[in-house]
Amino acid sequence: MSKEKIQICEDLADVMPPEYQELVATATYGNQDRGWKDIGSSKELIEQHSLCAGCPESIAFRYILASLPAPEDTVFVGSTGCTSLVFPHVAVHNIHSLFGNQNAIASGLKRTLKSRFPDVEKDVVVLAGDGATVDIGLDMTMQSWFRLEKFTTICFDNELYANTGGQESGLMQKGFVAKMAPKGKNFEKVRLAEIAREAGCAYVAVLTVSKPNRVEQAIKNAIYVAREVGPSFVQLYTPCILEIGKQSMEGLDEMKDSETIGGRFVQKEYITDEAQKLLDSIKEETKARKKAAKEAKKSVNA
Amino acid sequence: MSQYQVLPGPEAFLPPAAASMGNVLPDPGEAHIEGRIVPEDEAYEVFARKVLGAKVPTIFPGPLVLWKWNDHVAEKAKAIRELANEAPMRIIPMADYRPKYPKIEAAVEINPNHPNLTIWHNKIDVCIFIGVHCHQANLSLKIIRGGTNCYTMAMCAMAGHEDACLSFRDADLGKIRKLIDAVKKLKSEGVESQAIPFKQFKLSRAGLVDQSAN
Amino acid sequence: MNKQVELKNKRIIASKHVKLGQKNRMDQTYTDINDIFFKAEQTPNFLTGSEVIREAIKRCSVGTSVAYPITPQSEAAALIGEIYAEGYLDEYFRGESEFAVMGQCAGAAFGGHRVFTTTAGPGTLRAMENFPMWAGARLPIQVCVTCRGVNSPLSIQPDTLEMYYLLETGMLVWHAETAQDLFDFIMKGFIVAEQPDVHVPIAVCCDGFFVTHTKDTVDLPPLDLTLTPYDPYQNPQPVMDMETSPIRMMRDPFVMKSNYISYATHASWQQEIKAAVERSRKHTIPLLDGLIDEYNADRELLIVASGTAVSQSREAIRLLEEEGIKVGLVKIKTIRPFPTEEIRRVTKHAKHIFVPEFNVVGWLAREIKAIIPDNERVYVGPHVCGGMTMPSEVIVEQIKIQLGMETTPLRM
Repeated sequence: MSKEKIQICEDLADVMPPEYQELVATATYGNQDRGWKDIGSSKELIEQHSLCAGCPESIAFRYILASLPAPEDTVFVGSTGCTSLVFPHVAVHNIHSLFGNQNAIASGLKRTLKSRFPDVEKDVVVLAGDGATVDIGLDMTMQSWFRLEKFTTICFDNELYANTGGQESGLMQKGFVAKMAPKGKNFEKVRLAEIAREAGCAYVAVLTVSKPNRVEQAIKNAIYVAREVGPSFVQLYTPCILEIGKQSMEGLDEMKDSETIGGRFVQKEYITDEAQKLLDSIKEETKARKKAAKEAKKSVNA
Repeated sequence: MSQYQVLPGPEAFLPPAAASMGNVLPDPGEAHIEGRIVPEDEAYEVFARKVLGAKVPTIFPGPLVLWKWNDHVAEKAKAIRELANEAPMRIIPMADYRPKYPKIEAAVEINPNHPNLTIWHNKIDVCIFIGVHCHQANLSLKIIRGGTNCYTMAMCAMAGHEDACLSFRDADLGKIRKLIDAVKKLKSEGVESQAIPFKQFKLSRAGLVDQSAN
Repeated sequence: MNKQVELKNKRIIASKHVKLGQKNRMDQTYTDINDIFFKAEQTPNFLTGSEVIREAIKRCSVGTSVAYPITPQSEAAALIGEIYAEGYLDEYFRGESEFAVMGQCAGAAFGGHRVFTTTAGPGTLRAMENFPMWAGARLPIQVCVTCRGVNSPLSIQPDTLEMYYLLETGMLVWHAETAQDLFDFIMKGFIVAEQPDVHVPIAVCCDGFFVTHTKDTVDLPPLDLTLTPYDPYQNPQPVMDMETSPIRMMRDPFVMKSNYISYATHASWQQEIKAAVERSRKHTIPLLDGLIDEYNADRELLIVASGTAVSQSREAIRLLEEEGIKVGLVKIKTIRPFPTEEIRRVTKHAKHIFVPEFNVVGWLAREIKAIIPDNERVYVGPHVCGGMTMPSEVIVEQIKIQLGMETTPLRM
């Protein structure tokens, strides 16, 4: 949908609740240089959520929505879990169908949108928790990568089943004592990033959400690569402070600790040559465009 | 089994869907009034009588007419505003279908998850849905019938709603205009609006606009 | 009902699709279903059931089909692949399991395509979680179920038990007796399921092997006619393509947590799905010429059946007729919605009602018993299962036993 269509009919505009008037007036639909820095100065696409106070997932959600290159033509696919408490409040179309089938839904959806709108790039983005991505849904996650389905998969890795109350998951670290792992988890954290690389993802990134600029870059890279090259995968550490016994204000420290040398979430990327070439060319284009815009502004001022 | 009538409630803790009671939707050119299939023209007059006879007649415009997602919508929105001014009727929008947290502002919005709150809060006795997706409209209509005494009507762009007390089908701009004409005609025959005097609220990005300041 | 649906005027509300009368890339003309079935000349063809599925899909303007091998639908699913390669469909691929396939179908339907898939037996059960999701999400996907045994023990043979599992999914469930039914039901099924007031998924069921792997003469409309395409905007819900308002939209459970929602919404949602199935009657009756077929249904002895059990009953009735025993026949075409009023009417005068079935539970007999007065008239059977055939003589024998007549027991 073009930005021009995200408007309220004039004759009924003044009965619309303020948050919708705000959405139309200051959200960054249609701005290809939108990013995390818009947070605070423009209307965010997430209206509200009922996540726990201090939950890193909520800030991750906001960074991701701020970083989408074209939210006016993006459809999300979610899954059951804490994310599904946020999705009803997100101002892009999104689908929740069942637990674990998100990459199957996205496969059918992406192909259909490609077929119905051959001239418009419709981005499909999967956003699900680690239980949905790795445990119950691993078959469908991997099969979509094998088939080289052109959409982005984002995993909110909080290393456990948060919404059901803190049970062991495949992405949990070894030895962690949790519900359903009363003696501690007895196998290693599943190496999902490496699985993604081997299964066919052209772009893979693992990081925490402690630094918004990094999140923005990873999300943009993943979506650009999915458009042109092939499947992409971003694994974000969004610790469940509630279930690992932390306080509301301790989420950021937890992420920072885990990304220092030797930690579980030291930032890493796997990029195929083809994807790297694309990202380089986009970088050049963006630079040139911004430079031109700056100069145009300068000449107007002069 | 006698024919199920779709009447204002409060009907039941969980009233049945009218379709499951054997009510069939009207065909093109028809409408239904309380479950009785009638020629469409008959329904316009009943609509006008219900609106003019009500204390708090209200239009609930939905996302399909609130948002300018195609070229025809703006004209429909204009006609809806005209209808509201002509009758007069209040306008309370259903901007989308999300479950707003922790609660809706019942004075200025309606939501398919608990539409009864808006009916109760504003003491709405007659309403019409326009531009709400059929699925969400049916949920709303049934919940309203279950818990409130509001007379519900629907101007549906598709096949109509058995769960409304009165429903049109195949709505377009022309049919919305016919609603206005029907109100005008009754007024010209001397029927007066019984609506309690009100001032349509105005909202801006900052919230409720204080109309007394104007 | 507040309005009788007339059978005389065999017409469903005509398509108003903008592409009506235009040609597609296969040089087929988008045509209203009424014209395809009630106006165009039908030509006899000698085909297997699997080939009939292919022929129907060629004329259905399908957007996406997702395939997965499981006997006895594998051949049909592969044949659809062949016509995709010829250019009849926009998208086709093999999924990784029935659970995934039904998810992929859902994704395509959420995005606005007309979607067709096929499954059978264990595949139906593997896919099961998706079916109520399809219905709750108002996705008018068609799945052709070529019924076979449900494990365990493993069987690939015909058995209609899986239909019983489908009855309360919120889908339309139709049961084809013959290859001709199968062809008609697939094409007509799309149109009924996609009506904006219905807009729920449909399972077109047939008995595996008996219908899929035997050859039969089937009348087909010309190949240069195809159904008008699915219009995703004639939809009771927003399409997930970011082209429809509202854009702040999640499908489908907008009711995510009990902490901020009225349970009445959930209850009303479920009622609405049932209501949508009810609304399909009005569209189905003219297209299928009623939800049931009846032959001498005023007789005191009556067989009520669906699927190939109807064919076996026809022969049983002929055999009984030779002995001077007159039996009427009622064929049920739609299991959901169930033809409640129709069955009450036709069984009014029956003293004995026989319900032959290809499954171990006798679910059709239960359905009938639940809705008619004096239901001790219903004889639950004969039924066979696990891939056994049901010779017409078995039906004859059971009827005779019920009537207290002398009969020589049949042996395997």
